[in-house]
Amino acid sequence: MEKSQNQSDYYKQIGFLCGLEIHQRLATREKLFCSCSATPVEKGTEPVAEVTRYQRAVAGELGAIDRSTQFESSRRRAFTYRIFDSHTCLVDIDEEPPHALNAEALAIALAVAKGLNCSIVDEIEPMRKEVVDGSDPSAFQRTMLVGSDGFIEAEGEHISVPSIFLEEESSGIEESSNEHVSYDTDRLGIPLIEIDTDKYIPTPKAAKEVALQIGLTLRLTGRVQRGIGTIRQDVNVSIRDGARVELKGIQELDLIDKFIENEVLRQQNLIKIRDELVNRKASTGKPVEVTHIFKNTESPLLKGNIKMKDGIIMALPLHGFKGLLGYEVNPSMRLGTEISDYAKMAGVKGLIHSDEDMNSYNISRSELKMLAESLGIKEGDAFIIIAGRGEIVQSAMHYAIMRAEHAMKGVPEETRMAYDTKLCTSRFMRPLPGGSRMYPETDIRPVEITAAMLKNAEDSKPDIAKAKSALKKSLGEQLAMHLLRSTRLAQFERISGMASADRRFIANMLLQQFTELRRNGYDVDAISDDKLVELLNYYEKGTITKQAVPEVLKALARSDMAVEQAIKSNNLERIRGSKLMALVSGAAKELNSKDSKTLLQYIMSKHRLNVDGSELNEAIERL
Amino acid sequence: MTDIEAMLKKAGISVGDTISIESGSRNMKLTGELMPRTENNKSDIIVIKLKNGYNTGIRYTSDMRFEKIAQGKKEFTFPERAEKHAVEKKPYIQLLYTGGTIGSKVDYKTGGVYMLLKPSELLYEVPELEGIANIEVKQLFNIASEDMSYLEWQEISKHVAEALNSGKHGVVVTTGTDTMHYISAALSFMLQGLNAPVVITGAQRSSDRGSSDAFLNLACAAELAAYSDIAEVGICMHASSSDSKCAFIRGTHARKMHTSRRDAFRAINDKPIAYVSKDLKIEYASGYKKIANQSKELKPLTGFERKVALVKAYPNSDPGIIDYYVGKGYKGIIIEGTGLGHTPVSVQHEGFSWLPQIKEAVEKGVVVGMTSQCIYGRVNSNVYRNLRLLSNAGAIYCEDMTPETAYVKLGWLLGNYDSEKAKELLGKNLVGEICNRSNYDEFMI
Repeated sequence: MEKSQNQSDYYKQIGFLCGLEIHQRLATREKLFCSCSATPVEKGTEPVAEVTRYQRAVAGELGAIDRSTQFESSRRRAFTYRIFDSHTCLVDIDEEPPHALNAEALAIALAVAKGLNCSIVDEIEPMRKEVVDGSDPSAFQRTMLVGSDGFIEAEGEHISVPSIFLEEESSGIEESSNEHVSYDTDRLGIPLIEIDTDKYIPTPKAAKEVALQIGLTLRLTGRVQRGIGTIRQDVNVSIRDGARVELKGIQELDLIDKFIENEVLRQQNLIKIRDELVNRKASTGKPVEVTHIFKNTESPLLKGNIKMKDGIIMALPLHGFKGLLGYEVNPSMRLGTEISDYAKMAGVKGLIHSDEDMNSYNISRSELKMLAESLGIKEGDAFIIIAGRGEIVQSAMHYAIMRAEHAMKGVPEETRMAYDTKLCTSRFMRPLPGGSRMYPETDIRPVEITAAMLKNAEDSKPDIAKAKSALKKSLGEQLAMHLLRSTRLAQFERISGMASADRRFIANMLLQQFTELRRNGYDVDAISDDKLVELLNYYEKGTITKQAVPEVLKALARSDMAVEQAIKSNNLERIRGSKLMALVSGAAKELNSKDSKTLLQYIMSKHRLNVDGSELNEAIERL
Repeated sequence: MTDIEAMLKKAGISVGDTISIESGSRNMKLTGELMPRTENNKSDIIVIKLKNGYNTGIRYTSDMRFEKIAQGKKEFTFPERAEKHAVEKKPYIQLLYTGGTIGSKVDYKTGGVYMLLKPSELLYEVPELEGIANIEVKQLFNIASEDMSYLEWQEISKHVAEALNSGKHGVVVTTGTDTMHYISAALSFMLQGLNAPVVITGAQRSSDRGSSDAFLNLACAAELAAYSDIAEVGICMHASSSDSKCAFIRGTHARKMHTSRRDAFRAINDKPIAYVSKDLKIEYASGYKKIANQSKELKPLTGFERKVALVKAYPNSDPGIIDYYVGKGYKGIIIEGTGLGHTPVSVQHEGFSWLPQIKEAVEKGVVVGMTSQCIYGRVNSNVYRNLRLLSNAGAIYCEDMTPETAYVKLGWLLGNYDSEKAKELLGKNLVGEICNRSNYDEFMI
């Protein structure tokens, strides 16, 4: 407690602000605005057709174009949309107006809103939110406010949930390059709930806890999709004097706090660099084309770039930056990395900076000398080199200068992508979008929320406390909590509804045994619920022993066989009754002993998986 | 005035103002901009735009208190554009703008769809047009194509002629898409002796959305008007669902074949004259009338007879519909028959056959033309006895014309010639609307 109080004080002191945006796909039959299947296609499914489109930023309300819009538009990329049988229709590819709002999805969203103590809107007004990365063929996402002013309790903190939205999932990227992105449209239009917290989550740990609680609330509906990518947690983080950074793509809930801690560290380091640059009166110079200096270079990297069509090399002096480009802002991430990530937006592979070891690039002393002269480099200055096709290098230089100049101002507002899941670091993805342009979706009628809808939402709302106390009765506190926090609750309820085995046994199998087997490389998640039920019934009937259960699971995870076959082919059938008696008397003869301990050890060593310990004891005693 | 309107008026609140709404009974306080209500909102709902950009509907209750916090801002207006100096080297073309989806623009705040007010706003939305040609934009009207009549067709024809007579290389006409193929047929007939490309285009998605088809359609249309040697009227729209190329389809052989797809327009009993790629390369795909060296002044022939009907024959249909039109003094009727050009003629039961009505109409001097609801293919009056009966009754078989083109042609003929002449010309090719050969590769393309 004391430690967490210290933590809380520390984060308060650095002006820590943190909010979550949680996106969860709903398990509905149909998509949000059409009758396509809302379950994505299986991996490897081939599309039946493709269309290729171009999008452009259109003049905004103020005649100005939003920052990220401009960025995407400047790339002029072609977007190909892959069309899948039963999963894509004309609505998805912007060739037909949307159909009516999916009532099933709305009902789930309303229940979640109730579960998070929100007030529900009286009439839903569908909106269009402009999307510029091509992930939506219509260039906007349909979204609507469902509830507001909710809250959630996490670690004794009262965290506000200002809004809950129901919206369309975007397309998934199949392939992406600088000129072209290929999108899978099976995902597009799947109902998605977005839950936003306010920005006052006090610590990284609390953020993790809030994410856990919201995840649990969503799962308790029993109506959300499971598996990788079906829930996404975006985190907004800033500290005093820093800037808002949106972290995307953190897949492991358990790592949220580590990622946030590193973002705080990154911002603190960037502020330190800023202070030092200001102190040194640093400045960026003018980019210079230096292709001629390297025309006979031994550097394989530079040589390769000069040789290509329109290949050039440009360099930029960074006055007063020496030593700071190599300054580590995050584990294995330097200011140089950040500038390089910006340059990459233009399509170059990266850049060379002067805090790196020039020998590793095979750049000679005389080349460096000429470079320093043409850039006017003095003591304390640094430089960067970018090589590639002329037009691309120009544009890469533009982005690099932009980032270098921001280093003198502090932390740039960015959307960053989780990059290294071991080090918990992120990389630049794109500039933070300005306020999204939003306008009413006039192709869809507003939806009045009726008293019947509200009652239904109240009756079906996810309730953590209720779920916990119900589970506690049959599982005990510890197992109940464990199950609630896992992603297996719905599966547990399904299986224990069908199998007669003890609920504790089932919970332990899904939690402990599954975790252990998965760790050992067994794909237990691939075993169907039906097979699990069948297995449990065999155990309950006494066809197999308790010890044999993990062995059957292993066999089922390895190959797609029937449960009975898995038992038989692995000799896992239980030995009992007269067969057991015969086994015992045979062993007694063989060992010429009736000592129960000897017999028990002997038989167990040979038939551990097939014999139930207590039944064996009884049999030995009857001998 | 409803309760809500009265209450807002009393509080001095109008649409666009930032207001706060408080309700004690619901323990609610909200702030946002008041949005206009639409015909789709429930009558007791007030819509406000919250700070996060979302609109939300609030049910009005009598205990609500409203307060005006700030006056609304003026609506968005396009920035003034400086007049561009003409670039001598580029051809001059005229863009005639008549309304429709291509000219509509959403008000980002209210979601209301408006027609672009000034022609220059179109150039603002599609700036690349100016890189293609020197474009003079003129707005003729601002109406959806379903609301367009022959009076507008006449007006457009006059302006096209005016532009071409003043030396423009070609003309782009933007219209709504619903009746675009009627417009293209009308212009084809009205612009007799045309010696320049006249390119009609539009959009299936409005130009205020980033995914609009308008950008490619307009650019390709401008390219054709500025650089092609085609002396015909045609429709230039997406050739496929991709933004890869547009097809230029002869005005008398085009038809809207889909309610919503961007490649809705198809060549019927014909191939597109040309395709224009997204890089603005023109690829000629079939024969067409080329621009001739000597140019004569274009004098459009714009007469049009309104009393011409387009009637569909179908099982159980009442032939009395012909009596109705004849009684109303109609001068021409195009029948959209079944198959090769049938109407019911030998039904076992009384009152189903169209034969007596058609005979009587023809006898009274009404020109009756026969087309097919198959859309594709040619009508034929000889294959079956029933067809011969209709033909003998005086119905004119309109070859491979679509019902819409035949309708427009008959209206135009009767507007400019007497009935006898109209009868004589209806089945004869005038401007490429009838082809004598039916090519294998002209079906479902």
